[in-house]
Amino acid sequence: MSSGKLNIDGVMLFEQPFARVPYENYRKVFRASQRNIERELGNVQTTSNDLLKRCKSNEDNAEDTAKAIDGMIGRVENLKRKLGELQDTAGRPTLDVTRERLHHLAAVEALHSASGPDFSRWADTRLDRWLVDWALRSGREKTARKLAQEKDIETLVDIELFADIRRIEDALSRHSCTEALVWCSENKTALRKMKNTLEFELRLQEYIELTRARKTQEAIAYSKKHLVPWQDTHLKQILQASILLAILPSTSCGQYRRLYDTSRWSSLIQAFRLAIYSLNTLPTEPLLNLALYSGLASLKLPSCYDSAKNVDCPVCDPCIKSLADEVPFSHHANSTIVCRLSGKIMDEDNMPMVFPNGNVYSREVLQEMAMKNNGKVTCPQTGDTCEFTALKKVFIS
Amino acid sequence: MEGPLKELSKLDKLTEKTSKGKGPSIENSLDALLQSLREAKKRIETGNASEDTFALLAQTVDAKKKEVDEKQKEIYNGIARLGKALDKKFTQSLPTYDPLFASEASRTALERTIALHLLRTGQFATAETFIEECGMDIAPELRAQFIDLHRILTALKNEDISPALEWSRKNRTFLRSRSSPLEFHLHRSQYMRLLLSSRPSSSQPAISYANATLRPFYSEHAAEINRLMNCTIYINKLEFSPYADLASPSLHCDLQPLFAKEYCASLGMSRQVPLRVVGDIGGGGALARIEKARTVMKERKSEWSQTDELPIEIPLPPENRYHSIFACPVSKEQSTEQNPPMMMTCGHVVTKESLQKLSKSNGRVKCPYCPAESNATDALAVHF
Repeated sequence: MSSGKLNIDGVMLFEQPFARVPYENYRKVFRASQRNIERELGNVQTTSNDLLKRCKSNEDNAEDTAKAIDGMIGRVENLKRKLGELQDTAGRPTLDVTRERLHHLAAVEALHSASGPDFSRWADTRLDRWLVDWALRSGREKTARKLAQEKDIETLVDIELFADIRRIEDALSRHSCTEALVWCSENKTALRKMKNTLEFELRLQEYIELTRARKTQEAIAYSKKHLVPWQDTHLKQILQASILLAILPSTSCGQYRRLYDTSRWSSLIQAFRLAIYSLNTLPTEPLLNLALYSGLASLKLPSCYDSAKNVDCPVCDPCIKSLADEVPFSHHANSTIVCRLSGKIMDEDNMPMVFPNGNVYSREVLQEMAMKNNGKVTCPQTGDTCEFTALKKVFIS
Repeated sequence: MEGPLKELSKLDKLTEKTSKGKGPSIENSLDALLQSLREAKKRIETGNASEDTFALLAQTVDAKKKEVDEKQKEIYNGIARLGKALDKKFTQSLPTYDPLFASEASRTALERTIALHLLRTGQFATAETFIEECGMDIAPELRAQFIDLHRILTALKNEDISPALEWSRKNRTFLRSRSSPLEFHLHRSQYMRLLLSSRPSSSQPAISYANATLRPFYSEHAAEINRLMNCTIYINKLEFSPYADLASPSLHCDLQPLFAKEYCASLGMSRQVPLRVVGDIGGGGALARIEKARTVMKERKSEWSQTDELPIEIPLPPENRYHSIFACPVSKEQSTEQNPPMMMTCGHVVTKESLQKLSKSNGRVKCPYCPAESNATDALAVHF
């Protein structure tokens, strides 16, 4: 990679969730409108067929008919209002966000160089987005909101999605499945497509809670209604659940004790998080962590840990170094000699020159030093001074 | 992003109130339905309702429902097409890793890194919120230093060099040890501004400024000071003179990065913002390459031979090479402190171990890269 060329595929690897989250939101809005339409118009259709039937059999009376028609008008008006509201408050804004984000990605696709100010600005925003994503996932919601607001990137980050995740997770940690079940039914088709069984696990948990409270009748009814429909795939668990009715929460029998174990709630939280992340193509790790992991692994060298520390090297930064402990070292097959004074890479045009004491610097720097000091050069490491002509060229093959 | 954007604008048109797709918009269909309902109501109220009225109404309801359903189907297809376009654009999903930086020590280090990043980039309000939310301890002096940095940078942006100059005077010894041109460049910027802003044009204010300030810099910047003096001849047409570079705005705006660099160096901090550097490398292809290597190795059913080193080289731009790497041309191994690079008298370098292997029993070594022969003991350990 030359310094300027932008690796678009590498950049885009991080951006799928950025485009996918508003898209999934829009699908949700569409499903809501679809549900409204089905309910209201279905009802209107039944009523109008009913009226026709009654009229044919002469069972109609004017008062009832007028009432029925009023009811139909009310429904259609209501539907129209609801659809309008949905479109104005959710549909249109979501499409706007999608468009803004796609344009944001198109902007970086149009850049060819990673060194210009345009890319630098884009990368600044990207880091801000990553920081917000990190803060939201690490429970630093105030920071996330503040940062998004200060940088005016609220449409480029998913504060609402994560607030929703938090709300549902909080409910689960309060031992309430209701919120998570609502989410499951909102995303039924997508979950089915992913073969995700979160809903079953949630239902099973509600059932377990009923047996724990020894509400046997209710538990049986619940099982019939919510567990039995899963029998094709989860027969074994359903049978196990039925046996649970006969077993007290104080049991010491392994498999049943595990069902009663309250740690099931934390696995439910994990399962829910995994489901909502994969639905939105969000990685399980914050984007910032993934970028840091791979960035640090590209930079980390044994020299960062010995005496050759360089303040400009990010890995040599004391805070970042403890993060770098977790990542592998970078791999290099060829020599690269960097001048400790100018930071430039030395090659045939800027030969490495060695002092009699063994320290090597670039010719450019030493020549300039000699020009200012009547042909004398000083090694900054040791303070040794000698004539420029006493330096020797070093050949790195 | 062309594909998804095209599908998005199609979807946009479909959902507009004045629909452009096939058939009327949902709103129009519902309005028509409402009208039929109201007509039917009127007939009932006036006693004119017959079986036909209800048959017609049922028919209209069916027809309008069908219209709405079709429209919804059209939108649904539009959404699906946008989804397909996104699938096509993003073929690779982000990898799954075990929790990274999850240990207590790493978590604290990451939080501190982020706090310093916010301070360093001048996002003080966000930094305050963050520090408070994490309950972190950041030394007030450190915070004050960053606030000071941004105060001076803001002044420079507003063409006021005095705070920067004051700092440079206080840190003159440090700047001199780095042979930094900062103080001289600040004066140069001021001098050129005086020269070019004088109305009617006169070189007098600039020259007296130079007299008062530039003398101490003459030993180090003689040639440059001579040019500054000489350019006054072209005062009214500097842009078209041999001194045109002195009229360029970069003479002034380059002061900000230069100052930030020196200021951070004085605090022992890097010249670039470290979080940005690491993030840009990771998000600029490194993760993609690492993942590719991982997939290939999985296909070959081999594991990383050394889990503590990447199996592939990630190319880095020259500005991100911070340390010298010496790979011995004979053994292909990287030099270490125990196995340092040794320069033979001919100037070629191999590692110490290779040198020992190459040397004959009489202590002579034939350089593998040139005809020269030398004594192994004459080789010099070099430090890059």
